[in-house]
Amino acid sequence: MTENNNLLEVYDLKVHFFTDEGVVKAIDGVDMNVANGKTLCLVGESGCGKSVTCRAFLGIVQKPGRIVSGQMLFRQNDHMIDIAKMDPKGQEIRQIRGKEIAMIFQEPMTSLSPMYTVGNQIMENILLHTGTSKQEARERTISLLDQVRIPKPDRLVDEYPFRLSGGMRQRAMIAMALSCNPTMLIADEPTTALDVTTQAQILDLMLELQYRYGMALLFITHDLGVVAEIADEVAVMYLGKIVERADADTIFNHPQHPYTQALLRSIPKITMKREELDPIKGMVPSPFRRPSGCNFNPRCPKAMSVCREIVPSMTQLGPNHTVACLLYESNIKDRKGGE
Amino acid sequence: MKRQKPDLATNNEQNETQESLKLEVASQWQLMWWKFRKHKLAMISGALVIAFYLVALFSEFLAPNVTTTYKDTYATAPPQPISFFYEGKWLPHVKGLKYERDPVSLRKTWTIDEEVVVPIGFFVRGDAYKLWGLIPSDIHFIGAKNPGDPFYLFGADIIGRDVFSRLIYSSRVSLTVGLVGMVIALTIGILLGGISGLVGGALDNIIQRLIEILMSIPTLPVWLALAAVVPIDWPALRVYFMISIILSLISWTGMARVVRSKFLALREEDFVMAAMLDGCGQTRLILRHMLPSFLSHIIASITLWIPGLILGETALSFLGLGLRPPVVSWGVMLQDTQKVAVIARYPWLLAPGGAVFLIVLTLNFLGDGLRDAADPY
Amino acid sequence: MWKYLLRRSLYALFTVWVISLLAFAIIQLPPGDYVTDMLEDLRAQAGNVPPEWEDRMRQIYGFDDPFIVQYFKWMRNILLRGQFGYSFFYKRDAGEMIIERLPMSFALSLFSTFFVWIVALPIGFYSAVRRYSIVDYTASFMGFFGMAIPNFLLALIILFITYRYMGGAVIGLFSKEFADAPWSWAKFVDLLKHIWVPMVIIGIGSTAGLIRTMRANLLDELNKPYVETARAKGLSETRLLIKYPLRHALNPFVSTLGWMLPGLVSGEVIVSMVLNLPTSGPVLYQALVQQDQYVAAGFILVLSTLTVIGTFISDLLLAWVDPRIRLQ
Repeated sequence: MTENNNLLEVYDLKVHFFTDEGVVKAIDGVDMNVANGKTLCLVGESGCGKSVTCRAFLGIVQKPGRIVSGQMLFRQNDHMIDIAKMDPKGQEIRQIRGKEIAMIFQEPMTSLSPMYTVGNQIMENILLHTGTSKQEARERTISLLDQVRIPKPDRLVDEYPFRLSGGMRQRAMIAMALSCNPTMLIADEPTTALDVTTQAQILDLMLELQYRYGMALLFITHDLGVVAEIADEVAVMYLGKIVERADADTIFNHPQHPYTQALLRSIPKITMKREELDPIKGMVPSPFRRPSGCNFNPRCPKAMSVCREIVPSMTQLGPNHTVACLLYESNIKDRKGGE
Repeated sequence: MKRQKPDLATNNEQNETQESLKLEVASQWQLMWWKFRKHKLAMISGALVIAFYLVALFSEFLAPNVTTTYKDTYATAPPQPISFFYEGKWLPHVKGLKYERDPVSLRKTWTIDEEVVVPIGFFVRGDAYKLWGLIPSDIHFIGAKNPGDPFYLFGADIIGRDVFSRLIYSSRVSLTVGLVGMVIALTIGILLGGISGLVGGALDNIIQRLIEILMSIPTLPVWLALAAVVPIDWPALRVYFMISIILSLISWTGMARVVRSKFLALREEDFVMAAMLDGCGQTRLILRHMLPSFLSHIIASITLWIPGLILGETALSFLGLGLRPPVVSWGVMLQDTQKVAVIARYPWLLAPGGAVFLIVLTLNFLGDGLRDAADPY
Repeated sequence: MWKYLLRRSLYALFTVWVISLLAFAIIQLPPGDYVTDMLEDLRAQAGNVPPEWEDRMRQIYGFDDPFIVQYFKWMRNILLRGQFGYSFFYKRDAGEMIIERLPMSFALSLFSTFFVWIVALPIGFYSAVRRYSIVDYTASFMGFFGMAIPNFLLALIILFITYRYMGGAVIGLFSKEFADAPWSWAKFVDLLKHIWVPMVIIGIGSTAGLIRTMRANLLDELNKPYVETARAKGLSETRLLIKYPLRHALNPFVSTLGWMLPGLVSGEVIVSMVLNLPTSGPVLYQALVQQDQYVAAGFILVLSTLTVIGTFISDLLLAWVDPRIRLQ
């Protein structure tokens, strides 16, 4: 395992939310890996478990959610350590958060506290993870703000977040994330709340910094346009499971899972006529009443009767292409008999 | 002919909006009810509050005596505990009373006489009364079987009146003084809050300043000052309304704030905007679209707010500046307890305090449950 | 910031002015005045009184002047000479009585405020962080208890308990030997021994309210994105809670001083009467009942002004702790 170039390897991750109304299986057996220095895009509809997945990597799943099983092996100094086994409040995982794995959130308006200056909140990360003095941390903060192209960084360092625009705040968030040279950056829909031009600037900035810092980037989005622009690899998620993963080219040109295909059909293209827009039929089922068999079967145009009975497993289609769909499983009969 | 068409159209439109509104409101109340049902404490409290008001409604029937009945022989008699069996047989009764006279102070000290059995019964005949001042009767829900026997569930006061009966009678005044005050305050609050939230501008500014000023005044001294103004020779009913008005004069401010903020928030809502663009009239907009959408909030606020008025009346009457005898309210009853020596000797005179505590507590629980249920988030 | 402060202080001044008008107007409301009472007494003692006496006395006391003139004279005397008028009932200077009673009222309110803060802050914090724990339930229950019990009733119950089981009711703020003694360390200690009773009684209602506010605010804050940001930085849970949600919840906490003070002063008035404390409550009550108008109006004015000043201070504090207000 340590021979390959994987920074994070996730096996059978399950995160369940124990609510009064019942157990919600937000993540129900996710396998994935993030390669060093590469960009992985995690794609899916709202509520499919993307955000919970990336929070699980940091051990910050909110109550009443809990990691119930699985492994999350993270490479630290050429050793693989299992994040899933760490106490989410313990010392160990806190030294990974913000230092090895940093995260940027969706809402730049509320992700920074209005009570403290931008500089204070960035310096906090530096002071926490490195043994520098306050003065050094401040200088590093100013240089970081400069790197994310915030104008007059030596003045803005003492500014409160509510006096900055959304784009500027997101830049500050990026600066904060980069402050300890993380090996992996998780970005949870970082551009969704921004307007289109700002979005493009932030994306460019992130790619540039990823290259400069040599980080792996786990980018979570529901915007396939963004995916096309930045992804090396793509994982498509539906109802707490990865249904297909491949390199970006394959996903866009040869999608195999009916859900991926439907997802791609549903993006409007400029060349399209109005009528051609093809939304995915049906609605996301209630989290308490997941369909039996394959999660996607009630909405799937290619659903077969077995799809209601058997949960598909990951099938290898190419060297770097896996899909979880019974269409591609050869031994359905055996499994059915076996059960 | 030409005129009819648009009329028809608007009619249709109206019917449609009305219907959809009905649906909306129904589901909103239903949602509230579902959410409220889960709140066990609030449910129990709701039942208790209803029970309290039922007691107030039927107090003549429920109380063993009328308020004015006194037997000075039994002055300061202690509470007689009730039991239902005597020597293994079904016989609801209380134990009798006996007294010793202190040779020095000549003060009578009553104690429970375990030897004597006072049989009690339900639906017994006793003092004559008129239910709601209309229906004459002398049937009491509970009472001593022999009209002459002592029966003091919560003891007797200093001149020998039954504390239990007076407590029941008092609930009528104490529980409603808040309601009357609430209606007044609600009217002012919704009116001014509505104007403030809808009209905005300078008027809003003035009303807000007024509210701020009123809120920064300590209420009790002002209540006292106003209550002291009420002439002593006024009839009881007029004093009762006066006190309600005094209580509501300051407390409408909170309601006005709630209403204002709701109107402000609603103005931004899509459905209000839609109604406005549809050419909905101002009055109609407020009454049909805006008010229903925060009625639930108002009901919840009211429930949390009546306790304050009940406490206010009790405090004023306790100090002798509120309601006065012969009107009985819990506060009036508590006037007897102003001296430590009295409480120390006859602690059961604090019973009205317990009633105040219980009703305020249950109203708070109920209001809390309602507020949670009314809040869609 | 300066604009905010200027506006706030103007509001405060305006509020005090309106209160002074209200206070004076309320006192003028009752039919008759002190002269009526005096004449009644005179008649009771001496039989007939010549009717011209009445007018003469009214003239002397200035009761014949129109309301505005009386108000203006009253205000002028307070502002320029610090004179609050004359107590007809006690036959002495009203201002003197206020000065005599007010510091104790002030001290009691101050103590109660601190009591409320010191108790409500940690309990509210703990209740929010450990929601549905035993402490949370206990605090909620005690909170409801504190809100539901009228403070004078609580005072009566404590009187009863101390009288019955502790060999003497806790009445007053001083023991007998210190009541008229000059200030000394021993007297101060004696005061501390007594003041906790009214302090707890007056504060309990507000404490209950504040615990609930604090808990609700913190619960709100705990799920804010910036808390998650801080957690993703690897901050320890304790440090994180203190630096972010607690700090945020302090703003509404500080501004609660504004709504708490009127309640505390109200509580002080009634509890003082039950416990017979040497504060403004009993004197104000007497003045109101006796239509001793200058004393009553003076007390209402001064008590209200103090609350307005308290609210103003809470506005200042808010600007100090909340950069959003400071930098607007």
